[in-house]
Amino acid sequence: MIASANNERRKNTVVIGGGIAGLQAALDLADQGYKVAVVERQASIGGRMISLSKVYPTLDCASCITTPKMSAAAHHENIELLTYTEVDSISPGPHGHTVVVTRKPTYVNAEKCIGCRLCEYACDTEHPDDFEQDLGSVRAISVAFTNAIPQKAVLDADYCLACGLCLRACPTDAIEFDQQPRQETIHADTVIVASGFQLNALTIKPQYGADKNQNVISPLTLERLLAPHGPYGRVLRPSDGKIPDSIAFVQCAGSRDETIGVPYCSRVCCMYAIKQAMLLSGSLPTADITIYYMDIRAFGKGYEQFYQNAKAMGINFVRGKVSKIDSADKDDLLVHVELTEEAQDCVRKQRHDLVVLAQGMIPQWNPTASSPVHIGRDGFVATPDAGSPCSTNVPGIFVAGTAGGPKDIVDSIAEAGAAAMEAGRYLSMRGASSDSPRTVALELMA
Amino acid sequence: MDSVNDTAVQDPAHSASPRVGVYICRCGGNISDVVDTDHVAEVCRLIPGVAVAKVHTFMCSDPGQQTISDDIRQEKLDRVVVASCSPFLHELTFRGAVMRSRMNPYLYEHVNIREQCSWAHKHDPQGATAKAIQLISAAVGKVRCATALEKIRLPNHRRALVVGGGPAGMKVAADLAACGIPVVVVERSDRLGGKLPTLNRLFPDGQNATALTDKLESQVQVNPKIEILLKSEVTQVSGFIGNFEVTIHGDFGPSGQSTDIHTTVGVIVMATGFKPYVPNDGEFSYRKHPAVVTTLDFNALLARQHGNRRTLEFDGRSIRSIAFIHCVGSRQLDGVHAPGPDGRLNTYCSRVCCTTVLNQAVQVRQNFPDTRVYDLHQDIRTYGRGHEEYYTDASRAGVVFFRYHGDEPPKVVHTDGPGSPLRITVKDYLSWGEELELEADMVVLAVGMTPGSCETLVDQLKLPRGEDGFLQEIHPKLRPVEISVNGVLLAGTAQAPMNIHETLAAAGAAAVKARAMFTTDEVELNPYVAEVNTQLCEGSGACLTQCEYDGALTLTEIQQDGRTVRKARVNPGLCVGCGACVAVCPTQAINVSGWRIDQYDAMVDGLVRDMAPATV
Repeated sequence: MIASANNERRKNTVVIGGGIAGLQAALDLADQGYKVAVVERQASIGGRMISLSKVYPTLDCASCITTPKMSAAAHHENIELLTYTEVDSISPGPHGHTVVVTRKPTYVNAEKCIGCRLCEYACDTEHPDDFEQDLGSVRAISVAFTNAIPQKAVLDADYCLACGLCLRACPTDAIEFDQQPRQETIHADTVIVASGFQLNALTIKPQYGADKNQNVISPLTLERLLAPHGPYGRVLRPSDGKIPDSIAFVQCAGSRDETIGVPYCSRVCCMYAIKQAMLLSGSLPTADITIYYMDIRAFGKGYEQFYQNAKAMGINFVRGKVSKIDSADKDDLLVHVELTEEAQDCVRKQRHDLVVLAQGMIPQWNPTASSPVHIGRDGFVATPDAGSPCSTNVPGIFVAGTAGGPKDIVDSIAEAGAAAMEAGRYLSMRGASSDSPRTVALELMA
Repeated sequence: MDSVNDTAVQDPAHSASPRVGVYICRCGGNISDVVDTDHVAEVCRLIPGVAVAKVHTFMCSDPGQQTISDDIRQEKLDRVVVASCSPFLHELTFRGAVMRSRMNPYLYEHVNIREQCSWAHKHDPQGATAKAIQLISAAVGKVRCATALEKIRLPNHRRALVVGGGPAGMKVAADLAACGIPVVVVERSDRLGGKLPTLNRLFPDGQNATALTDKLESQVQVNPKIEILLKSEVTQVSGFIGNFEVTIHGDFGPSGQSTDIHTTVGVIVMATGFKPYVPNDGEFSYRKHPAVVTTLDFNALLARQHGNRRTLEFDGRSIRSIAFIHCVGSRQLDGVHAPGPDGRLNTYCSRVCCTTVLNQAVQVRQNFPDTRVYDLHQDIRTYGRGHEEYYTDASRAGVVFFRYHGDEPPKVVHTDGPGSPLRITVKDYLSWGEELELEADMVVLAVGMTPGSCETLVDQLKLPRGEDGFLQEIHPKLRPVEISVNGVLLAGTAQAPMNIHETLAAAGAAAVKARAMFTTDEVELNPYVAEVNTQLCEGSGACLTQCEYDGALTLTEIQQDGRTVRKARVNPGLCVGCGACVAVCPTQAINVSGWRIDQYDAMVDGLVRDMAPATV
């Protein structure tokens, strides 16, 4: 039963989603003096980006770029983070928008929890770790990940045996088994939808055999394998822990394909495949790495040079469409591919010991059931006004990042700034007051 | 056993002994996979003055920063050193962390043991570890004699200069003015809109480019906060954030005579746009035959077609076949393409041309069904929302595609014989590398974008350009619309090729940063500027001869002990803290705050301190 609470807030803006786009939009608005609430369904902010290894085209470690923004948002006096919270509805009204959210029970009193993780160490119930793409395991009560914000334990009721070990381990009596979901209301002048993306199923094309062979993996799994603080600390293939030495990337494995309902380009797969191939060739210098592609879409600033560097490094770019992937002996894979640039013998079966499928990007959240926001044919939030790229069909509701279509981090961040500007402009014209800081800190760069 | 031989002289200037906390970051494993961070911490604990030395997986994370705050309180630290990644990434993060613990942010030192140790010496873990220890030892020496500094506060002129009146400039101006910020827009040509109105039918929504131009223009024209100066140029600019002095030249006189306007602005937004690539004479027969045109020419041509015909008309001729060639002036390769007049190859992708071509190709096939369309590409990059549909539509509409390799570009020759005037040969990798010859009545070259010219501002403000010649942002993710000169922002295609929607988004991102800068009446600058000890200064003027920054140093006459004496004076807004003056002062009267000579001495002592070799 959802306890009805009288807990109500007033904000200038509610940002839905605490990923990189949501955080950037929140920071840009908060820097202008507006009061912002960030609603995040997960236990930590940081979104998809915090789980990535390194990011193109600069090859910075993803944590190094995300954590400062997470930290800045957490410490900003104008930003309130509502993690582990779902959006129930957004209702526009004459005096702004009413956003109803449900704070999911964490079974840990956030005021009391000091993030010491003693509960986590005491808990003896494990389940696959979602953050590590199920490669590692996590306890039924835990802090989401090393650099999570907030550093508060969350108990997963689906796995908890209520044995009481955590209760006895907690030094601050923070465990509360009797917590209930709590509905809260936020009255806001504007809303920014930054609810992000998910990947379509690895098995969406059954001919690629992901349900039969564990060594057909998701690019997000490879991100964790490549991350320096990942589950194994090195790249091992899932089925037997072997170090792979012939890795294939199958591009457009969930995009540009009308048969699976994703006719559009997911925009990021070419570049992250190139990046992953480069990182792999760094950690496995003798491995053969092949990228099967239709078109290499290296369109952004510095991207084409990144692609040319990868070619120069010896990464094998093969233009061809993969028709199916069979299991071979020793857990290896046979990739059936038509090599469209070969005059002779162009239909081949290529043996690889690890295959990465470039899954397509689809929206994480469909706002139509709980708000008047329209979506496009592709399922992403529609932006009908060409002169204002972040505006939705509802005045005062804006969209940022991949909620409005596939986009890489660079473009998501730029768009988040634009969404914050649109929201700021809207607030300004409505005469919403902002508490401006007295001085603005600006740094001279060397 | 590790030994530290502290030969450094005990700080005479600081009798009270500072307590330094040293924090070593593993950076996930980016550092600790090479540098033995636990060993570094162990050795650092032995450096004089170090009260705490700790290792953390991510110092920049919230728990990492919390460790510093807790130690400042519990261990009574008054100096902090973090050894992690480049200061470019996280110096500000940690300054912020110490500030939150009520410590002066300039009692913080940052050591880069990632780029300079673990990454640079990947194959020498022992050497990398030893180097990390030495660098930290130097930083500890420096921070021990650091003094608390205050930021320089200067007035902030609440007014923005937008250079360029194209879509990006108009969007920034409209956004800022809507928030009550006065804006001056300087536009070289005699109208607003830039190249937008020539784009005819915009992808992906088919919107009319003139209509969008009019819409953006109406937002700037009606706003009294916006001053639009057409046929004008910035001829002089100096100053710094919050206080840029700008001279604008144009026909502003009462009867239209040319004159100069001087104004002060707090922020400059570079919305200087792009220049379309102009093919060389003879490149794909450009300028050798009139039917070889660019995508821009072709947009104009499409806009001029009237009546109901089944074939496209050009120069009074029916165009039965037309070939589009992608990547003209983009994705150029060394040894294949001729460099431009500036000696540069455009190795980058211009991002917009693929969808531009397909947009045009689809229009041709839909409106002139008897005109055949060929498309010669390397990769079809219809990456954006709604872009792939143009590719699908073009395929369905019967556009014939050819795929060439970048090092084997197609050749175009013109013939005077019967039949079509243009012959194209292409090695086509959609037919397994077959050499094909096509006849075409017209060839359209998909020209890329090249950097717009804004040399006055680039030279006078010393704005950096990237390898591609476009203005270079500080960091594509951390500070995507800022450039290394404070108070100067980038909007739109001045930074990189973008389509109109991306341009407007980038302009919005620039506007939001500009607006954040105007939330206050003052700007704060780092205190790393020259300071003069007036007791020691003898007014020799040697410092002035070395100073490269106009107005940063002056000689002023002051009264001292009843006499008029000359002394050097620093304008902290203009001084960049380069230190050229420090080197030449005969009396050592000038120093850079935060980087004083005695701090260098301490760093050198720290570097040469005898540390035991790292045992890894």
